[in-house]
Amino acid sequence: MKKVFLTIIALVIISLTAVAQKQTTTKTHFKFFSTTPAENIEANNYASVGTIDPSTGDIVFSVPMQSFEFEKALMQEHFNSKKFLNTKTNPKAKLTGKIVNLDKVNFKNDGSYTADIEGDLTINGVTNPIKEKATISVKDGKLSLDSKFNLTLADYKVAFKGGKPSTNIAKTVEVTVSVNY
Amino acid sequence: MTTKKKILVILSVGIIIAVAVALYMFNKPARDVQATKTDFSYKASEIVNEYLTDAKKANDKYLDEEGNSKVLEITGTVAEISEDFNNQKVILIKAAADKAGVSATFTKETNSHTENIKVGDEITVKGVIRSGASFDADLEMYENVILDKSDIVSK
Repeated sequence: MKKVFLTIIALVIISLTAVAQKQTTTKTHFKFFSTTPAENIEANNYASVGTIDPSTGDIVFSVPMQSFEFEKALMQEHFNSKKFLNTKTNPKAKLTGKIVNLDKVNFKNDGSYTADIEGDLTINGVTNPIKEKATISVKDGKLSLDSKFNLTLADYKVAFKGGKPSTNIAKTVEVTVSVNY
Repeated sequence: MTTKKKILVILSVGIIIAVAVALYMFNKPARDVQATKTDFSYKASEIVNEYLTDAKKANDKYLDEEGNSKVLEITGTVAEISEDFNNQKVILIKAAADKAGVSATFTKETNSHTENIKVGDEITVKGVIRSGASFDADLEMYENVILDKSDIVSK
């Protein structure tokens, strides 16, 4: 009887730690979208790495900046250049955040939860605090995260004076994040 | 022909050329990585170690300011085959003893070339480098070298 009891406890602990363990993924999609009367510009990145730790609420993303793909080659070259994101010097963007309302996110039950994430975002070598909402979905023990937020380019010293880019790129761009852990 | 007419002709030809160049620049097609000459050929371990030794120096050597970074051919053992969010095949080439490997993303056009590849196979891929390998203290793991626009090189 004691053995059965111990086995049950062991199984429960194993299953709990399986959910609570830190998870890593490369199944990620980051999208930049900029809209101005002149044109819409979109860039997609599928090569980022992310981790989530359900026990602490820690969320980390590392985004290889040169992996952003644009429709037009010239836009992509502008994006990477020193005037914009200087991706040779700063090849990666980084987000380190924490779910601050961890009690509202039940990683053990299927469902969709709104997580408040606070942390730091580093782009172009400039770090700013961020506070954004994300939807965390749990289905059959699998986690996914979706979020959409706006970034002000000037906050990250992405400035462009004069010329076509200054009229064709919005000052604030929309970032969409989809991740399957 | 009067001088006035000559100037007019030269000016209009100049404007036409300028517009044509501007249009060409604006609509310039994306770089064809597979048609580009390979800059360096390595074993996966070699490029990983180069990055782990001095990432800054390696970035200087391989990354381009406008994103047209070096085209590499990487040889090694297939450790993992997966698919990204854009349904592109991703092959991780990594020696068992190494801390990091080379993750090569294929394209819609080259995806089918990976069909017969299995974990454990020795392969060579060609692609453009997007970022290097490093230990990330926040992720608490080693990140792989990332290649994009990849294809299999048959030897």
